[in-house]
Parts: sequence; structure tokens; C-alpha cells
Amino acid sequence: MPGDHADQRRAEYVQLRRMRLVSLVEGTTLVVLMGIAVPLKHLMGYPTATAVMGPIHGVAFLIYVWMVINTVSGGDWSRGEIVRLIVAAFVPFGAFLNARFLKRREDALAVPAGQVGGMRS
Amino acid sequence: MTYLWIKAFHLAAVMTWIGGMLVVSVFLAALALPGPRGDREMRLIKVVRTWDAAVTTPAMLIVWVLGLVMALQAGWFSAPWLWVKLVIVVTLSAVHGIESGTLRRLADDPSRPPPAFLRLAAPGVVAAVVAIAILAITKPL
Repeated sequence: MPGDHADQRRAEYVQLRRMRLVSLVEGTTLVVLMGIAVPLKHLMGYPTATAVMGPIHGVAFLIYVWMVINTVSGGDWSRGEIVRLIVAAFVPFGAFLNARFLKRREDALAVPAGQVGGMRS
Repeated sequence: MTYLWIKAFHLAAVMTWIGGMLVVSVFLAALALPGPRGDREMRLIKVVRTWDAAVTTPAMLIVWVLGLVMALQAGWFSAPWLWVKLVIVVTLSAVHGIESGTLRRLADDPSRPPPAFLRLAAPGVVAAVVAIAILAITKPL
């Protein structure tokens, strides 16, 4: 059923876009935590910054790991790619490199808009 | 008072999340039965996927966020029972992530079986819920 395969490509494409968005959010919260909140606490004696950013980054990290598990369970990913996705979450700016990697996979999945009803909006 | 409201919504989200996980777990166990899947099963996969994405997964996120807020408010992060509970919750979340991804994958292939270990997911979810309830209510550690 060609329609079903197009639907499936679209579902995978949407999943990768969400994964990239979550990756960028997780990376941004990590950079804000390490680059702003931690210096504010230790250099300027302002602990509220980490008290706020810590839990926000914690939730963003959990969502990211969940999305990695969800994404790799639903598609064909090599062990190396899975390790890369996980390691990126622990390295500041790793998420931004990750986003480029995910964008390449998205582009490989992109099909002409007419086939799947304007997927690339 | 705020704590009780947060707890009420946390528990409502827990019930929605666990209910959704049990549906998916039993459904995937049924899909593991031998033989190709027909149109009816393929349509059911879409329905269950839609529910999972629209209701069960957001419920899981609400469970995490409100649980974290309650633990911070009550200062429970130094209590061992909470860490045991967190390990179980993270494991449940991982199983849910695998189940959700598996549903997406099965939607495209009528002959692909779900991973064999997911047949144990439903009893595993029930066991996890029992352990979580004991830990959260009796706080034994």
C-alpha cells in the first residue's frame, strides 16, 4: 500500500523533527545551566539560578533520553548512531552537532510535498 | 493546599499513563501472535498510536514534572525510597518509549513481530506499579 508507506515516511520525518527540537532544547538548557546559572551561584553567590535551571534541565534531559529511546525503537539506527545520540546529551554544544546529524537524516527522508500532503511546511 | 492539588493531578496523570501503557502492552502481546496482520489490526495500530501520542505520552510528562515539583517541595531527594522509586519510574518510561517506537514501526510492516521481551511488559508494568505504590505510601527507606 503506497499510501501507508508515505504515511510511515511522514511519521518518521515528524519524529526526527521533534527529536531535533528536543535535542536543541536540551542542549540550550545545559549551556544556560553550565554557562550562566553555575557561575552565578559560585562567583556571585546567587543560588536561585541553579535552583531554577537545574530542574528545568533535568526534565529536558529526561525528555531527550526518552525521545532517543522512542526514535531508535521505531527506525533503523546503527549502534554507533545510538551511542552518538546519547553521548551528545552529556557534552555542552554536543546537542547542536547532533541537530545537524538529525537534519541530514530528515533531508534523506524528505519526499516531494505533493506525495504526502505538504510535509515540508 | 497547593501540595494536595499537585498530588491530585500527579495521581490522575499516573493512572492515565499506566492505563495507556497497559493497553499498549497487551496490544503488542496480541500482535506478537503468529501470522500476518490484516487491515483491521493495521487500523487498530493507528488508533492505539494516536491515543499513545495524544494522551499517554503527555500524561507521562505531567507525571515527571509534578512528581519532581512534589519531591522538591517536600525535600525528599535525600530519601532512599524516592531514588528506588525514580529508578522504577525511569525504567517504566524507557519501556513506554520502546513500546511507542515499536508501534510506529509496526504501522508500516504487517509481518514484523514486536520485540519478544515486550510480551512481559504488561505483568512488568503491574509489578512496577505495586512497588511504586508501596514505596510512595509507606516510605520504608
